[in-house]
Amino acid sequence: MFAKDWLAAPHEKIRFDVKLVMILAIVAFLLIFNVFPMCYLIFRAFVNESGFTLDAFKRIFTYPLNWNALYNTLVTAGLSMVFGVMIAFPLAWLVGRTDLYGRKFFRTLFVMTYMVPPYVGAMAWLRLLNPRVGTLNVWLSDLFNLSGNPFDIYSIGGLVWVLTTFYYPFAFITISRAMEKMDPSLEEASKVSGASPLKTVMTVTFPIMLPSIVAAALLVFVSAASCYGIPSIIGAPGRLDTVTTRIIDYVYVGSAEGLTDATTLAVALMAIANVVLYVSTCICGKRQYITVSGKSTRPSIVELGKWRLPMTIAVGLFAIVVVVIPFATVAMTSFTKNLGKPLSLANFTTHYWHILFTRKGILDTATNSLIAASVAATAGIVIACVMAWLLTRTKAKGRHIPDFLITVGSGTPSVVIALALIMTMSGRFGINIYNTLTIMIIAYMIKYLLMGMRTVVSAMSQIHPSLEEAALISGAQWHRSFKDITLPLIAPSVVAGWFLIFMPSFYELTMSTLLYSANTKTIGYELFTYQTYHSQQTASAIATGILLMVIMVNWLLNKLTKGQFSI
Amino acid sequence: MASITLTDVTKSYGNVLIIHKFSEVFNNNEFVTLLGPSGCGKTTLLRMIAGFEKPTAGEIKIDNVVVSSPYHFVPPNRRGIGMVFQSYAVWPHMNVFDNVAYPLKIQRLSHMEIKRRVEKILESVHLSQYVKRLPSELSGGQQQRVALGRALVCNPRVLLLDEPLSNLDAKLRESMRFEIKEMQKQFGITVIYVTHDQSEAMAMSDKVVVFNKGVVQQIGSPMHIYNHPANQFVADFIGRINFIPGVASAGKIEFSGSQFMEYSGDKRGPVVVAVRPENITISEERGVLHGRLTQAYYMGDINDCRVDIACTCNHGDPALQVRVLTAGHTYGKIKTGSSLWLNFNEYLVFDHEEH
Amino acid sequence: MLKKLISCFTALIIISYASASQAASKPKVTIYTSMYEDIIDAMTDVLHKKFPKYDVEFFYGGTGTLQAKIAAERDTKKLGCDMLMLADPSYALELKAEGLLHAYLSKEAENIALEYDREGYWYPVRNLNMILAYNPENCKKEDLPQSFKDFASNATMKGACSMPNPLTAGTALVAISALKDKYGYEYFDLLAQNRVMVESGSVALTKLETGECKEIMILEESVLKKREEESSSLEVIYPLDGPIGVPSPIMTIKDGWSAHNNAKICEELTDWFLSPEGQSYIVKGWMHSVLKNPPSIPYDSIPTAEIIKKAMPVNWANCLKERSELRTNFEERVKNKR
Repeated sequence: MFAKDWLAAPHEKIRFDVKLVMILAIVAFLLIFNVFPMCYLIFRAFVNESGFTLDAFKRIFTYPLNWNALYNTLVTAGLSMVFGVMIAFPLAWLVGRTDLYGRKFFRTLFVMTYMVPPYVGAMAWLRLLNPRVGTLNVWLSDLFNLSGNPFDIYSIGGLVWVLTTFYYPFAFITISRAMEKMDPSLEEASKVSGASPLKTVMTVTFPIMLPSIVAAALLVFVSAASCYGIPSIIGAPGRLDTVTTRIIDYVYVGSAEGLTDATTLAVALMAIANVVLYVSTCICGKRQYITVSGKSTRPSIVELGKWRLPMTIAVGLFAIVVVVIPFATVAMTSFTKNLGKPLSLANFTTHYWHILFTRKGILDTATNSLIAASVAATAGIVIACVMAWLLTRTKAKGRHIPDFLITVGSGTPSVVIALALIMTMSGRFGINIYNTLTIMIIAYMIKYLLMGMRTVVSAMSQIHPSLEEAALISGAQWHRSFKDITLPLIAPSVVAGWFLIFMPSFYELTMSTLLYSANTKTIGYELFTYQTYHSQQTASAIATGILLMVIMVNWLLNKLTKGQFSI
Repeated sequence: MASITLTDVTKSYGNVLIIHKFSEVFNNNEFVTLLGPSGCGKTTLLRMIAGFEKPTAGEIKIDNVVVSSPYHFVPPNRRGIGMVFQSYAVWPHMNVFDNVAYPLKIQRLSHMEIKRRVEKILESVHLSQYVKRLPSELSGGQQQRVALGRALVCNPRVLLLDEPLSNLDAKLRESMRFEIKEMQKQFGITVIYVTHDQSEAMAMSDKVVVFNKGVVQQIGSPMHIYNHPANQFVADFIGRINFIPGVASAGKIEFSGSQFMEYSGDKRGPVVVAVRPENITISEERGVLHGRLTQAYYMGDINDCRVDIACTCNHGDPALQVRVLTAGHTYGKIKTGSSLWLNFNEYLVFDHEEH
Repeated sequence: MLKKLISCFTALIIISYASASQAASKPKVTIYTSMYEDIIDAMTDVLHKKFPKYDVEFFYGGTGTLQAKIAAERDTKKLGCDMLMLADPSYALELKAEGLLHAYLSKEAENIALEYDREGYWYPVRNLNMILAYNPENCKKEDLPQSFKDFASNATMKGACSMPNPLTAGTALVAISALKDKYGYEYFDLLAQNRVMVESGSVALTKLETGECKEIMILEESVLKKREEESSSLEVIYPLDGPIGVPSPIMTIKDGWSAHNNAKICEELTDWFLSPEGQSYIVKGWMHSVLKNPPSIPYDSIPTAEIIKKAMPVNWANCLKERSELRTNFEERVKNKR
């Protein structure tokens, strides 16, 4: 009798394929809001009132300044990528897999860097390492009796340093997620075979982590290459142009020709970013390891033994240099009256914190950003989950199309996205969302979806499909299985992915600069204008405030979920 | 409770043929084992029955209802099947109770009913005291039992087991074999069991399907397959066996070294004589083949011996070892190195196949 | 527990998102401006009281940003604003030539001390001045260059001077236009030789405070604001070769192109901004009034008449005509030199 029940379910005559519908929905979204605007922009780069022309291309690519900028971009983004991964991999291993003292604390600390707008951090480094009176520079040259100051922030090296310190968390987050998920028996097998811990890391852990490492490296590369805030603050005084600052320069020419020039240059950056991104996706797409099996194991911790204390000290020192010093500088700035003098009782003020809590503009913009970033992150993570499922669990035809489009979107410099959206989304083609929060949300999603998606995809690809099949065979439909089995298992990554979209959207600058309207100004933009036009102290107070808020949310989340979730 | 009818089931990925036109009926309450070396297509067949893979062609019926054909496909969640995965697929975020209760929750049974049935099933898989444990706090065998309990909890018509014992240690494996078999009898369900371990297949099955490279080699009861292997592959894969190459002619088979044995069959030309080690007897009196004892291991109940039948006759030929099992108490009666005679109680003759 | 939390959170987002997308119903005027936000805040309050029937909204942005925004908007045949209070007369000339502006002869025009459009397409509304600034806590005034000429050519300033970016700030473009007219493009080479840092105002002021820079080229208002609000000791040097005065215009976008098609209201607003009352808010914002009889002078500044008299002449037509040439030259001669 029971048997009959199973087959009594109605035979659906018109069965619509849910997978296909979802792919189509995501593709449609991306086509309308991503591909179409970009194509229009490219179209504009070639076509002016008089028809097809290569004038803009000739103008842009015969100009040595632009080649110079291209070179600077490749060098700084490339080096930041290399250093970022070189820092992130050992850190992720030490924090995720060893008995280092204070692992959890360090973990939170390193992720924190991601939660601070890069341009605020850049400003802190500027104050610490400028070649004339940089605080750290002066201190070091006094300490070692140097004839001159050891560091010059206004150089390629300085730019790479700041980019690295701000983008290595991207790599750290991506790698450490994967690292914590790894089946410990794989490492144990190596140790049993007589390999030392270091040898095990190099011969087993590293190769298995390679797909995550490549993904992490790419995130760093693309973020660094399409970053505007840091090069504009560090690069401009040192006369170091990058492609993004060149694009903004062209944009700020404020004429139609300027826009065309900006677009043309942007197409080049877009091409580079996407070629790099796609080639490596192809390479590491072939190497997928399933490291979380249906068998449950306790995560194993590598005992560092006599290295425990020295390693902790080393990590601690790194944290002090990269996290504590710049953040402390920012926090102290927010209390300083006169930045020319050290922070003392006479030079202490809470005036800027007062502004933070009383100025309507700041509160309004913070609310706007909170809404826009939350919506972008929530919608983004839903797409990310669906995409992760499509990519890792189905063989649906065309599932790589949305993946590719999302990758293209993220590889596109923010300025370009913003301009393309303005030109296409203000009523001319039937959609008018200009001057609304929606246009910003869409811009944020296009730009930051990839980070969330990669996080979820990598978590999902590490979950053995048999866990879901077991749910299906238990009678659950695929969406039920997704909800009951997959989602809880990838939940920490989903939460992390949500924050990976939320945080940069929250303090996003470049796109907001062009897209905001009087009602939809964002905190990132407000922060940047305070930083560069009004008062650095207020900007610092805002940044510190954001940081405190993030720490609080993280703490709450941790508390509520009993340590299961944190950023 | 259910029969499974497979008709011309074929699966291929692009040009790679995994299963070629498989047709068979698995009857009610039958314990069927799909046996074969890894990569032979047995797991794919199981997954097609489960509904995780769609056959490229052919039809699958459960209880005479089509669940899979080119025109119709019932997804796994509506097939009423239980399955145990090779990796157990025990959900790490749920405790033992929740894991086992899951299929019942999907059916929206009442809390009371769920509790009752889960407790009952946990008792039969001996996990009653671990109800609240998380899978990471269980041993491999216990996790395996959770998987089994989950597969059985909603009285499936068919239970599919995909190498469920391959991750367990030898001792546990043997005891689990009997538990699974017990369970099948107790619940009275059709079981399809995938394994590459022939001794598991022998011990548990009513029917064994031997696969090689996507093609069925033989279907039959363990005893039939053991005693009457259809071909050299089956003979080799099931149990231990000696293959002695020779050339058949009318009345005799000639071996290298100019030994021969009488033969009344109709095969001619190059052949292989297949003899199971326990079907050979050793004696010092004249027998079929002459050889020299090279090794003998005392195993308690039996002696595992090697007899070289080539070197005694012609010093130029490479050694041809024949494995012989003798009764344990005869150990030491014949010294290693001494020559002896072999008699075949039962043997099969296959045409010589190029491998 | 967590589920509830998540659903509450989602609901909250949706509600706030929905409420954020709602709009008011009063006739509306949106003004793009590069004035400081503090002044905007103050003015919004006053305008709210003065014109309770209208919804006047300021939209702040750097000149470059706003020009880029306008350029992109122009592509769609509709701007996001009704009035502009930004940049310099050359931009007004450009918009007028493109036919985007609304003409209105204001009754306040006769009181204006500076050049304005006789057909009423634009009027100067605030008088900005590019000057030099230093930090008396770190340097003595007499040791520092007292003119723009000296600022660029004095070798002691090497690596310790800063100026705003003409590619992003309209006033800086006017400044280099005037300096080029006076000293030729060689002036740019001198700046490059002195390794002048090109950056925005607040960054430069911070560098002045910390001592990284000895002297900077900056708008007078930035320094005055810091002096009044933070009792900063930073001081202005009015260059001997003349501060560069930039009368920043007020313009109305003509109906059809403007966001809300309220040109009549914009006329009322124009009158108010040019009136002594409106001008007094400009002065409170540390900028000089454009009137012949200014209501007052900005905090700690010199009299408006004096600064106008001293000012270095600017050829606005040139400034518009040579804009891209100036930018390219600046880029190549200054920005790309290391």
